[in-house]
Amino acid sequence: MEWQWLPGHLDDLATATAQHLQLALLPVVLGLIISLPLGIVSVRWRWTYPPIFGIANLLYAIPSIALFVFMSQYVTGLSVVSAIIPLALFTLSVLVPNVVDGLKQVPDPVRQAATAVGFGTLRRLMQVELPIAVPVIVAGIRVATVASISLGSVAGIMGLGGLGELFQDGQQRDIPSEVFAGIVLTILLAFVCDVILVLVQRALTPWSRARKGAAA
Amino acid sequence: MREDHLITFDHVTKRYADGTVALDDFTLECPTGEITVFVGTSGGGKTTALRTINRMVDPTSGRVLIDGQDIKEKSPAELRRGIGYVIQQVGLFPHRTIRDNIATVPYLLGWDKAKARTTAMELMQRVGLPASMAKRYPFQLSGGQQQRVGVARALAADPPVMLMDEPFSAVDPVVRAELQQEFLRLQSELHKTIVFVTHDVDEAIRLGDHIAVFRTGGELVQHATPADLLANPADDFVASFIGRDRGIRLLSFHTADDIALHDSAVVPASATRTDARAALAGVDGEPWLLIVDDARRPVGWLSAESADAVPESGTLGDAGLLPIGNTFQVGVDPLRSALDSSVLSPSGRAVGVDADGAVLGVATQADLAAAIRAVAAGDLHPHALDRAGEPDEPEPAGGA
Amino acid sequence: MSGFLNFLLPWLTSPAQWSGQDGVPNRVSEHIFYTVLALAVAMLLALPAGMFTGHTGRGGFLAASLANFARALPTIGLLVIIVQGMGIGLVPPLIVLVALAIPPILINTYEGIRSVDAEMKDAARGVGMTGRQVLFRVELPAAMPLILLGLRTAAIQIVATATVAAYVGLGGLGRFIFDGLSRQDYQALAGGTVFAVLLALVVTLVFMLLRRLLVPRGVRLQEKA
Repeated sequence: MEWQWLPGHLDDLATATAQHLQLALLPVVLGLIISLPLGIVSVRWRWTYPPIFGIANLLYAIPSIALFVFMSQYVTGLSVVSAIIPLALFTLSVLVPNVVDGLKQVPDPVRQAATAVGFGTLRRLMQVELPIAVPVIVAGIRVATVASISLGSVAGIMGLGGLGELFQDGQQRDIPSEVFAGIVLTILLAFVCDVILVLVQRALTPWSRARKGAAA
Repeated sequence: MREDHLITFDHVTKRYADGTVALDDFTLECPTGEITVFVGTSGGGKTTALRTINRMVDPTSGRVLIDGQDIKEKSPAELRRGIGYVIQQVGLFPHRTIRDNIATVPYLLGWDKAKARTTAMELMQRVGLPASMAKRYPFQLSGGQQQRVGVARALAADPPVMLMDEPFSAVDPVVRAELQQEFLRLQSELHKTIVFVTHDVDEAIRLGDHIAVFRTGGELVQHATPADLLANPADDFVASFIGRDRGIRLLSFHTADDIALHDSAVVPASATRTDARAALAGVDGEPWLLIVDDARRPVGWLSAESADAVPESGTLGDAGLLPIGNTFQVGVDPLRSALDSSVLSPSGRAVGVDADGAVLGVATQADLAAAIRAVAAGDLHPHALDRAGEPDEPEPAGGA
Repeated sequence: MSGFLNFLLPWLTSPAQWSGQDGVPNRVSEHIFYTVLALAVAMLLALPAGMFTGHTGRGGFLAASLANFARALPTIGLLVIIVQGMGIGLVPPLIVLVALAIPPILINTYEGIRSVDAEMKDAARGVGMTGRQVLFRVELPAAMPLILLGLRTAAIQIVATATVAAYVGLGGLGRFIFDGLSRQDYQALAGGTVFAVLLALVVTLVFMLLRRLLVPRGVRLQEKA
């Protein structure tokens, strides 16, 4: 592999990375905003979960490129938004099950105790159940973030920005080092975001540290 | 006038969709300021009954009243904030510190944060937890410590009523005994109206002022004081539920007030062999002497042979003495302790002491037998059987 | 919805779509071929590794790290670079398909065997089973649900990746999408998408059937409880 392309294009790499960050992270935020209420509804009214879960998985099965094309052709044009909305929909297949699992694993005695001391249903959700579900939810956010960063490179082929453009350009002009740079940056970005999320979770939930080995 | 927090169950029935009857026309009163224990076999309805009080379960028919007011008149959340609730698995909030766990209800009630925290710290002390634990999390505490926090949380807003569902069942027996002791101490200070569920009849007898026995099918079989329950179980089910040795356990409820005590066999350690022989002459039955020190506290038992082995010039304190075993405090300790003392002493006599531990006298097994007979006559068999085996009209209680 | 169908109908009903190399049947069978091939190779590599690490308990951290790492890999980037390195054909994209399918199979097999009740394993050994017998007669059947889940995830992953692989010259349903894109033939693109989704659904159904067949009834019932 020849590396001479790289030194002259560090600016482009930086721009692409920054763009990619926006491209990949906003969908996770959006996905979370949608998943939280959906997950809460699924737990409260059990019968809604199969359809919700089914739709989320169905969305995930749609080839990403098709959705990007659809959005950019018919809805929001050739802008980053056309990538963000499909990516957000893809995160649902991870985030909704994790919100549901997170809420379900709240120990029953804790839920009973919360009701019995006088928490109303909404207060119990906000002050007890969701906080306890945070570790599982963040685990889902981590997966969704990494997947979003990876999937987001497809958007680059459509000219929607991000590190994917490096792949398209590298392929069209036959510059393997550019493609390689794109791969490495994608992986690095995913790794850094994952580590940050782990730190955020540890900071948010000091109580979950030794859970696995703790006294019953 | 002290407020009344009487809990009234008025023909409460709970039937589930699949036909199971958890409670069957249950009517009962739980007196203010006292501990009523619900005990019985599983499926008997004791937990269901408890949970109707704070509306965790709603009856199919019938009413539950607290202090004459139907609990349905308040919203469930409001009702529950005024009732303390302690469960077996504790249910502490893992994401909150111990202090914040305890202050849960005060926070919910909108108390000033500082006041809530101070109250939490006071309660920690009250339930025997060191203040250093305030900022820790539940996962860092042992089972027994967690349950203390659970009790503190229930007490935080000073509710007049406490509901406890097998709170001490998940810990080992040593810790359980400690918790029971602490619980009784707390109640003696606080006088809350408590309903306590357990499947352990010994715990019921130890803690309850009143006991309600449930049978599978949600049926109330007997409602009595512990002594009465032991003395007169309503039927075979209750008798077998109480288990073996209920006669001996009944002895725990009677103090040996007027048990006969003899002090002729009590001799100081400074006495000589001659004194011993003189004392022994006045002893009926087995020839043993109880040797005491200058403060009249018991030192050991001296047999006649050992007394003879004492040299002429020596004191009885130098002789080979056999250990006391146990003593009982006259008028305070139950008859069961006196029996225990008698069994453990080599002479077969119980050693009765006063509050300072000084010997008041010695009771022979004949004396004990007489005391036991008095208990039996007073408590047991209020109904004589006629020839056909049917109980008669109850006779007035009296000594034999 | 009806608008979408109206949009697709002419393309779907045109005979050109149903014959020849570029017809739906051919592309679908190509796609199925890639999927089955890649899944088979991935299984061959990942199942034994997963069974070994799960049974012995060693290498678990490695397996988890591998799975996490693989999730971050950009599919398109990998496809492009491997074709640049090895040229166009079946094998280069296949390598990527297999590589991306290994982590879900590996990690689910590992987790599945790992999570078999320790007491059950203990009892099996106590009855006198050898290590290998414990693996095949006790752990594997009990781990079947998770293993099948791993295989299903991998299969769906391969279907999706194979679709993208059309970007670097592979056949299959992705051809409709990328050729459609370059020709601005959006009917073809929509058609290809629909069939890709249908294929994913079929894969899911196949695995549901496999679950019925391969997971012992006792394990299935226990899961429901």
